[in-house]
Amino acid sequence: MKISKDDVVYIAKLAKLRFSDEEIEKLTGEFESILGYFQSIDRMDLETVDPDEFADGRETVFRTDENVISGDREKLFRNAASMRGTFIQVPRILE
Amino acid sequence: MSGGFTRIPGKDCGFMSVCEISAGVAGGKYSASEITEMYIEKIKSMDDGIGAFLTVCEESAVAQAKALDEKIRSGKKPGRLAGVPVAVKDNICTDGIRTTCASRMLENFIPPYNATVVEKLLSEDAVIVGKTNMDEFAMGSSTENSAFRITKNPRDTTRVPGGSSGGSAAAVAAGMVPAALGSDTGGSIRQPAAFCGIVGLKPTYGLVSRYGLIAFGSSLDQIGPMTKTVEDCARMLEAIQGRDDRDSTSYMGEYQQDYAGRLGRDIRGMRIAVLKEFFTDGLDSEIASSVNESVRRLEGLGAAVDEISIPAAGDGLAAYYIISSAEASSNLARYDGIRYGYRPKEFADVDELMEKSRSEGFGAEVKRRIMLGTYALSSGYYDAYYKRAQKYRKLLRSQMAGVFEKYDLILGPASPVLPFKIGERMGDPLQMYLADVYTIIVNLAGLPAISVPCGISRDGLPIGLQLIGPHFGEAVILQAAYALEQELKLEL
Repeated sequence: MKISKDDVVYIAKLAKLRFSDEEIEKLTGEFESILGYFQSIDRMDLETVDPDEFADGRETVFRTDENVISGDREKLFRNAASMRGTFIQVPRILE
Repeated sequence: MSGGFTRIPGKDCGFMSVCEISAGVAGGKYSASEITEMYIEKIKSMDDGIGAFLTVCEESAVAQAKALDEKIRSGKKPGRLAGVPVAVKDNICTDGIRTTCASRMLENFIPPYNATVVEKLLSEDAVIVGKTNMDEFAMGSSTENSAFRITKNPRDTTRVPGGSSGGSAAAVAAGMVPAALGSDTGGSIRQPAAFCGIVGLKPTYGLVSRYGLIAFGSSLDQIGPMTKTVEDCARMLEAIQGRDDRDSTSYMGEYQQDYAGRLGRDIRGMRIAVLKEFFTDGLDSEIASSVNESVRRLEGLGAAVDEISIPAAGDGLAAYYIISSAEASSNLARYDGIRYGYRPKEFADVDELMEKSRSEGFGAEVKRRIMLGTYALSSGYYDAYYKRAQKYRKLLRSQMAGVFEKYDLILGPASPVLPFKIGERMGDPLQMYLADVYTIIVNLAGLPAISVPCGISRDGLPIGLQLIGPHFGEAVILQAAYALEQELKLEL
């Protein structure tokens, strides 16, 4: 399985991660060996398997939509890095 | 049934069981306060050398114990786990107590609520004494991926305790708590239980609520008990299981109520399948002979044992790492530095805030899994990886179900290797992943399984046996594990 550094850089962009050149180099090698191993899944005969999870009669579970208090507001916000009033402060996204 | 190990030869601290403590506290033989203080002291004197805990909650534990003593004095009936000190893995939310997932990302995170399992423990009058170390976000098999500390195996402190619930396993094995909670996505309860010589149960998917468990692979994650004995494991399971409206995957059927009551029943006629795919080249020869000896003992107790094959069982590792990494990459997308979690001091715009938060907040293994998962889900690769892995999962599930039409249990080792040296496998992620080869099929199929000590190697390292049951087959698993435990009477 041939993985290029560009592949790794592209995936990092999708995952919103930054790596140094050195890390990219290392990840490329690791990816190659791990994805090479992952290819063992290609050897299996899975053509006849129906991937539908609900084919065996399972159903999605629903609950009634009721108003409940989902927690104390002060507690819920105590992990926010910065607040302004009851809003979480974030960097400006529009100039 | 609980007696027999109040003191372990060669160890300077006593070991008390869950049953001993809860019966003693409820009956007035001990106060919850004296038990709590004794265990807190033990943690303080021992944990510098082990590193099992990330947080010790002395103040709240003492207060809880005091309140329980008051409750008992006033004549109220105490809960089933009266005064039992319990350690909780640090990916399970505890209201007001730091919950870090052993990650810089959540270093200062204080949950605003309790996980359902924590609420259940508290309502049964257990005392939460601390939060245990783990591989960051439960990704790893040695607890070496913690951002904060290394946990040592109490049986041999040059070796890892296994992972990812290594802190919980080490805390129980060292006698710093009689019971702990772990979580198991691909073996993270059973493998450390095997490495540390204790009992660890991964319940059926849906039996124990996942509400408040910080998500890794949502279709695989399960919380379960880790204890010294099978009976304690049964008691803990009785306390933490149950339907929860806050977890939409919670089981809606009938729950067996009395696992402990079934222990001690004869296993004559029990049909056990030994899985051929578990006994391959990679299996340590001492583990193989110890497991084979246990098979003979179970046969001696009247179980009917056959060797069988589940063709798909040997090929699960790739599918497991594809599915778990894909789910992790999606679950961990929430850590963006906005609402909570690590946020860098300087950033130019919102994109840089997110990228820097994630790159500085996550450790190397977590980033590796996010990358693998993102790759497997990315356009052009989805069909080749994720979809094939899901198909494999379905095939495995149907083959396992076929076995349970004829057999009560499937038996095998819990780990292919003995506890390895600290640092030994850190250089090669693929080697580390191979440590999970016997446990991951259980999570992929949503089945329950236990790891129970079955032997000791020449170097004195514990060996764990895995018993896998059909969905909601916890009672029969515990019954067989108990029979083996009583038969072997290991001095661990």
